[in-house]
Amino acid sequence: MDGNEQLVKHMMDPQNYGEMKDNDAIGMGKNPKNGEKVAIYLKVNRDGEEPVIEDISFQAIGCSTTIVSGSIITSEARDITFSRADELISITLGMLDNVPAEEAACTEMVALALKASIDTYLEREKDSEFPMISYMINNDCTPKEESEDAPTV
Amino acid sequence: MHQLFKEVHELFLATQFTGFLSQTTTRQDLYEFSNIFFKHLTWLENDFIKNEVEYSYSVNNVPLKVTQLSHMLNNILERISSVEKQLESCKDEHITFRMRSDFNYIIEAIKNMPDEEVASAFDTKRDYPNVELTDEARDALTVFLFEETYKEYELIMVYNYSKANSRDAFLNRIFQILIDESFFHLRSFGQMMADMGILGVPRSLMEEIYKFDDLKQFLKDGIQEEIGAKEECKRLAEAVSSSSEYFAAFFTFINNQENYHIALMEEALAYIEG
Repeated sequence: MDGNEQLVKHMMDPQNYGEMKDNDAIGMGKNPKNGEKVAIYLKVNRDGEEPVIEDISFQAIGCSTTIVSGSIITSEARDITFSRADELISITLGMLDNVPAEEAACTEMVALALKASIDTYLEREKDSEFPMISYMINNDCTPKEESEDAPTV
Repeated sequence: MHQLFKEVHELFLATQFTGFLSQTTTRQDLYEFSNIFFKHLTWLENDFIKNEVEYSYSVNNVPLKVTQLSHMLNNILERISSVEKQLESCKDEHITFRMRSDFNYIIEAIKNMPDEEVASAFDTKRDYPNVELTDEARDALTVFLFEETYKEYELIMVYNYSKANSRDAFLNRIFQILIDESFFHLRSFGQMMADMGILGVPRSLMEEIYKFDDLKQFLKDGIQEEIGAKEECKRLAEAVSSSSEYFAAFFTFINNQENYHIALMEEALAYIEG
């Protein structure tokens, strides 16, 4: 199976897509320029020394690249500890350094949504009323000539 | 009744997308049945609105990947059976009587549909029958079809929600035309996805996509998106023109149809702005 075929399979059948009603935390990654966003829902197992992501899902207002990134990253994040998830986020964001901004934006949005969901969970351990955390991306996927008047829906 | 509403929505999607799998007259029959299920959805929606009950278009993923058409036909029959069991949760007996009557006919019709082999709709080969695509054109077409199939489904539901929650006859006429147009595009693109072996059911919509406060802004954004879609069609027409006259003509046709959608949205915008 080549890389393209794998990506197409994620487009045809995105993994872990959908709202999780009985979540323990939600986090959001947003593109402030065009209204695109990713929400990540976590169900956390607290039985061990460290929290473990027991279940994870995502929803997005975004393009196919966002959906593919969401499908891949949430699949990787299932059943791992928070510290392993932090590594996953760092590695993902690090890989984007050499990618053109418009291509990096969608994946950054998913990685930041995962970070936001973990941070929301940790804050809620201290304060159960803590609101959902949202992080804004640094990259911009909007072509230059459109960025002044970008659609938001 | 929320579960009933959700399952009817999923039934509509399952039937519509199973239609793309068939290469026979079954396709048209399934299109008609999906129209009927969509109508059921609007009846239930209207009942929610009449009774001032909050609702959403949230659905579960609808699995579609099968090797034989009969697998999906049986799945549709199971879905109908599950919906029938929940009809009592809707208190409007006129609605449930009509739904039961439709189901009685449709169940028998589906039972008599011939089986077909349909694995090629999911083989990810991304070849188009009788067309030689360059790698670049193939990739561009793949992304376009995924983006636009979702977008057309989104537009159907957005305009349907707006129409259901508005009593303005002028706007509702425009919303209905846009729903019909999006159905045509959804079906065109869905068939192409099946032909290329990349068929999948669009993902569930986030609530804020259709529950928006500012129709004016939505229309303005929508016009910009249509302009973007026009450009994409133009690029695709150019990319495939050397390998397929038919394809180039098709995308030019879709491109020109977007002009009509833009005109309709501009008409609605002008009406709102007075």
